[in-house]
Amino acid sequence: MISLQEFFYYAGATTVCCPLLLLAFIGLLPLLGVTLSERAMSRATQLCVWVGAMAAISIVAVMWSNDIFKVPLDVGNWVNIPEEHFHLEIKFVFDRLSLPFLILSYTLCGVVSAFASRYLHRDIGYYRFFLFYALFFLGMVLSTLAGTIETLFLGWELVGLSSALLVAFFHSRKNPVRNGLRVWSIYRISDGAFLIAALSMHHLTGEGDFAVLMGAEPWPLGVAAVTSSQALAVGLLLLVAAAGKSALVPFSGWLPRAMEGPTPSSAVFYGALSVHLGAYMLLRASPLLDQSVTLRVAIILVGGLTAIFAALATSVQTDIKSVLAFASLTQVSLIVVEIGLGFRYLALCHIIGHVCLRTLQLLRAPSVLNDYRSVEDAIGLTNNSEPSSLKVSVFSNWLYRLAMERGTFDIFLDEYIVQPFLATFEWLDRMERRWLSLLAGKSNSQTTVISNVPASQNTPEALNAEEGELS
Amino acid sequence: MNRESKLEDLRQAIYAAAELLPSQGPITAFAFLNPLQGMESLPFDEAMSRVKRIYGAEAYLEETRYFAKVQRGRITVEDLRTVIEEDLGSNAHQPIGGLCDRTELRLSLLANAIHCGVDRELDWLIAESQTLWRFRSDVSSSSKEAMIKTTMEWIGNSPADSHYALQSLGALQSNASRQTNWRSNQESTTLRLLWEIIRSEIGKVFKQELPLPEVRHRDLLRRTNNIDCDQWVHELLVRFCSAYLDQGQSNWRLPQRHLGFFQSFCAHHRQSMILTRRWQRGLAKELARIVDLGMSPLESIEESLNILGVNSSEREEYLQATLLALRGFAGMIWQTEIRPDRVKVPSPPGTLVEYVAIRLILDRLALTYGARQILREIGPLSELRKHLIAKLRPRPEVSEEQQSYVLFQMAQILGWPANQLASLKTSQWAELSEELNRFSSHQRRRLFHLAFERGTIHQSLNAISCRVQHPPISPSKPKLQVICCIDAREESIRRHLEEIDDEIETFGIAGFFGVPMYYRGAGDAQFASHAPIVVRPKHWVTEEVVYSFEDSHRNRAQARRLIGSTSRRLHASSRGSIVGAIVTTLIGPLATAPLLSRVLFPRLTGSLHRTARQFVAPPSVTRLHLERNANSIPGESDEGLGFTVAEMAKFSEQALRDIGLLESFARLVILMGHGTSCLNNPHESSYHCGACSGSPGGPNARALAAMLNDLRVRRILHENGIEIPEDTFFLGALHNTATEEIRFYDLELLPSSQIAGLKWAREKFSLATQRDAQERCRRFESASLGISLNDALLHVQARTEDLAQTRPEYGNSTNALCFVGRRRRIRGLYLDRRSFLMSYDPSRDDAQTNVLKRILGAVIPVCQGINSLYSFSAIDSASWGAGTKLPHNVTSLLGVMDGAASDLRTGVPWQGIDIHEPVRLQFIIETRPEQLLAIIQGNEVLSKIFRNQWAHFATLDPDSTQVHCYVNGQFVPYDSTQASLPTALSSLEWFKGKRDHLPFARILKSQ
Repeated sequence: MISLQEFFYYAGATTVCCPLLLLAFIGLLPLLGVTLSERAMSRATQLCVWVGAMAAISIVAVMWSNDIFKVPLDVGNWVNIPEEHFHLEIKFVFDRLSLPFLILSYTLCGVVSAFASRYLHRDIGYYRFFLFYALFFLGMVLSTLAGTIETLFLGWELVGLSSALLVAFFHSRKNPVRNGLRVWSIYRISDGAFLIAALSMHHLTGEGDFAVLMGAEPWPLGVAAVTSSQALAVGLLLLVAAAGKSALVPFSGWLPRAMEGPTPSSAVFYGALSVHLGAYMLLRASPLLDQSVTLRVAIILVGGLTAIFAALATSVQTDIKSVLAFASLTQVSLIVVEIGLGFRYLALCHIIGHVCLRTLQLLRAPSVLNDYRSVEDAIGLTNNSEPSSLKVSVFSNWLYRLAMERGTFDIFLDEYIVQPFLATFEWLDRMERRWLSLLAGKSNSQTTVISNVPASQNTPEALNAEEGELS
Repeated sequence: MNRESKLEDLRQAIYAAAELLPSQGPITAFAFLNPLQGMESLPFDEAMSRVKRIYGAEAYLEETRYFAKVQRGRITVEDLRTVIEEDLGSNAHQPIGGLCDRTELRLSLLANAIHCGVDRELDWLIAESQTLWRFRSDVSSSSKEAMIKTTMEWIGNSPADSHYALQSLGALQSNASRQTNWRSNQESTTLRLLWEIIRSEIGKVFKQELPLPEVRHRDLLRRTNNIDCDQWVHELLVRFCSAYLDQGQSNWRLPQRHLGFFQSFCAHHRQSMILTRRWQRGLAKELARIVDLGMSPLESIEESLNILGVNSSEREEYLQATLLALRGFAGMIWQTEIRPDRVKVPSPPGTLVEYVAIRLILDRLALTYGARQILREIGPLSELRKHLIAKLRPRPEVSEEQQSYVLFQMAQILGWPANQLASLKTSQWAELSEELNRFSSHQRRRLFHLAFERGTIHQSLNAISCRVQHPPISPSKPKLQVICCIDAREESIRRHLEEIDDEIETFGIAGFFGVPMYYRGAGDAQFASHAPIVVRPKHWVTEEVVYSFEDSHRNRAQARRLIGSTSRRLHASSRGSIVGAIVTTLIGPLATAPLLSRVLFPRLTGSLHRTARQFVAPPSVTRLHLERNANSIPGESDEGLGFTVAEMAKFSEQALRDIGLLESFARLVILMGHGTSCLNNPHESSYHCGACSGSPGGPNARALAAMLNDLRVRRILHENGIEIPEDTFFLGALHNTATEEIRFYDLELLPSSQIAGLKWAREKFSLATQRDAQERCRRFESASLGISLNDALLHVQARTEDLAQTRPEYGNSTNALCFVGRRRRIRGLYLDRRSFLMSYDPSRDDAQTNVLKRILGAVIPVCQGINSLYSFSAIDSASWGAGTKLPHNVTSLLGVMDGAASDLRTGVPWQGIDIHEPVRLQFIIETRPEQLLAIIQGNEVLSKIFRNQWAHFATLDPDSTQVHCYVNGQFVPYDSTQASLPTALSSLEWFKGKRDHLPFARILKSQ
């Protein structure tokens, strides 16, 4: 008979190790020259998902029957530099927040792997898909169970990386790559904010452990051990991080653009799991929010603005994937509002319900023609000149256009953030070269070799590769 | 020329260019038409040589793919030699550079793996790889020895005038002192010498062949500066076009759509926004100016062309390129304009012109902005192209180094020693170089393709000529006659039925059974066209529930309405905000049930779903509303539905005469249309019947059966000489080509005397469908090769219930052949589901072959359209086909885009053609050549296809076994003396355990 402690240790380790083993299996074996068949990959994935999910469910059952609300699993400090007050602690927490989310991740990843193993049959990217999938799966499990902010960051990065790679899955066309890069760039911003938040947390408490910062009581009862202004500073950084990850205003543009990968990846990754990660992180840090009213107002404002914008944008979209992307965004931002208002259980339930429903809708997205037709057959032809909810007026036309332009947030980012940013660095580059040539005593023209993207690089081959591109 | 006629010319130029747009139309009524239909007035070869420039698409497969077929033996070297000789004609044996004759030269380029990388790769190969150290591995050792020996001898007693030889002698000696391996040293010296000679001589004579610069400013700007204006323009245009074309996807429709494309665009983009993209900043002002001046779209086009500096001589080409830049959407706008009957929300006439006007305005603005990025001071736009062309760096198809490298490899293969090459004159080198230039990649692929097609053609012609040498097989008193669609998918089920019982006779007819109609089922809201895409039906037919089930029908319709509106409300609200939050929180978790069951247990879920649907489906006892009063006009209203008795008799007689079924009727004749079912697949319609505009052909079969059972019709037929026995009964049916289920219509009208016969027939059908499923499973990698009859049926059914299945069936993929003639002459021939089969009896035709004329008028365009769409989609899946299905995104309920935003993707997706062999269709028609020529001359559409070789044609003599094929403008007798045809005891024995295409064979059992 093993003790409760041991049970939690082994079962907890299983839930974390399953995705890790899967990644090792899919990622390392081909490096040794083994070619994996489609069947081997999908079998391995299913096995890992089943075992991990069973372990997670057994943890829930044991915790429930023993009235335990929180089980930490400490893997210890992996890096420890006492002189610098730096340590990297890997720690997992099983509690009322992480367990539902963990089981949800397992379920959906399992469903999607079963779906993808048939959907991608014979595709040349089959292996690549399952590799990214394994990466994503691991990232999702790590960030769900994270007990320290370092662990959360690790999982968060894996999710970001695999998402961007999956957006750019069809890399022979230009748009997926461009959009993948956009997703990646926005994730950089949000990761930057996250990293600064993590560092300031270490600075404030000397620990990255949530238990120290948010109080040792099981979620959601913790009380944060920081002052209101500290909470505001860290919280705002976390809000930026969450806004990037969950596509809140003004970063909303990436979500519909991310619909470039194969359907199952859009389904689970952007439509369902990873887009909720920002909200999940805010939930994890919710004791912090209690400390600052300003912070909560900021969260509600960002969420509310996104919800209004996304609902407006949903109604004008003409393709099914954009419709679903904006519809997801509407719900995610409402979840953020709920978190801001302090309804934590509601937010958790909302996440779970929304994730399930949206995954189903996304997987069934290609059926939209059939669905539309069967509804039409049942209730008769809908009137085409159906008046819209808003009367035709100058204002409504303007609103329609605004919705079509997707709130012009992308334009804002491109023209007022990216362009000046690039222009500054291009200017610095020019100045540096001028300065160097001055030092070297040469004329300006001789030192232009290192220029970044000169027109002369447009080799015929590069252009040939784009030839097949239509849009 | 006055202004009016000038504008009219512009309009005509746009309409002419529109011919080149994809003719696909809405994806829910899939049209199988040649994607190059607009170019059918050109000979096939010429059209293919132009597609690269016009569409930027590939005309043939990549060389490496053809070469793989050469290696597998699918393309034989003999075929290659024959097509090269035929192609060169009298020049075939002209010597080139004194080295070898042209045929030899060309053949060595095709039959060997000649590598021709890009320049940098070649630099690497020369510097780093074994290229200059070792001969190619495919050079035989004897020829290698011979070359080394000759070279060494030549160096040894080198004449003092050859600087190459002296040079290499020095190299050899210096190498020899360093290296011990004298043998490899010799080999390397030989190769180095060869390379040196070729490289320097080609350098002297090589002439670059530069393609014409592109006509659009955007293409030039992209090539010179990598600035892509279309990327900006398309982002805006894709959104607006899909909003304009939207058939009901968005909740909030484009507000001013009724103003038309041009005006509504202006109205929307005149408004100032909070922020606009930089390139768009002048747009609002420009549109305001155009609208305030009251310019018409055509006037605006003219203005734009003038501003862009497009002079009148190049207008057509410029407009064509402009239209084709976003061809999916442009084509869809054009389709909704010219075929308003095919969509719910059509576009008014003139929309395409309006689209061009807007597009050109946007192009202008984007170009101005784009050009300003590279030019500090931008002159007038009309001068831009001149400026860019001057900057254009040449991009020859083949570089000097590439050509040298090709020659280097050929010298090894053909065994040209260095001394022979060194003695060539400059004029001979020039000749060689020019010959290589002339035999460009396009030409090489053209010949590869011809040889590839030749294999299929010969296989087909051999099979038919061998089969007809054996006696025809037909039951003297058939027990059952089955009339199927000509579709290649029905070939197998017909063969299996005939194999199962000798007393079964089958026929093939175009899948709309000669009854073109708009049809609305009992549970449908809309009419759909059930006729070939080129035909606009003139009759409307509905399915009605019989009166005795009226109440149940009403209740069930109500239940369906309730379910429908609930599910619509649920879906709509899950996309809304506040209500959506409640719905997702409360109902969301319930979604895991369908999610898990649909993905993990597809078949169980499917059958549960079907059972549940039974409760609300319209009652199964229905009738077609088929009869119209003689003096009411056909239309959608109640009195306009159906056909008059005279019309019914006309259609019935035509159908029977077409297939030559005029006597010896069986007691039971089954008319079997076909359709499909699948889940989660926007391309579902492409699996339905191609002759019914992508709808199932069941209702047409049912309609014809009902007509033929009508005693009044039979009376008229009797007067016209067709005697149908009183105890013959016609029964309509629908064959589901995916699940292999067969549904019989109107069974309650079956006379009791027929019941035993039907029971017997159903037994045969059930076995035939199982065997058919088994035969289809050999093509699916996910089914094992040794699958049993029963498992095969379960496997194909499971495919249709699977949300994740992208290949519910393979449709008409692999089609290669179309036979028009008497089935009895080719009965028992295993055609591997690759042949369209149309029944036609020349002995029942009149002297003017009027029946054949009518048949071919439909069969040739329909089958050639299906074949072309599959073949071009397979040749360049990214341009002609829809690419891979995986990222498809249904847009405006009309088509699919790739991912988040792209042009509309037309054609067959990759998952539908990955096993297809892209060859032009081979028609074999049972008639005499002069009769076929007479028919074709009288029909413009056919004569284009025939004359310009968009398909191959052959005839089978009705009275003998002679086959004639159409080669170089005339029919020549086909020599079948060498032909042989393998035999097998049954279809199963022939296909068992094999995945790939199979040779045709004669099945002995059915004799």
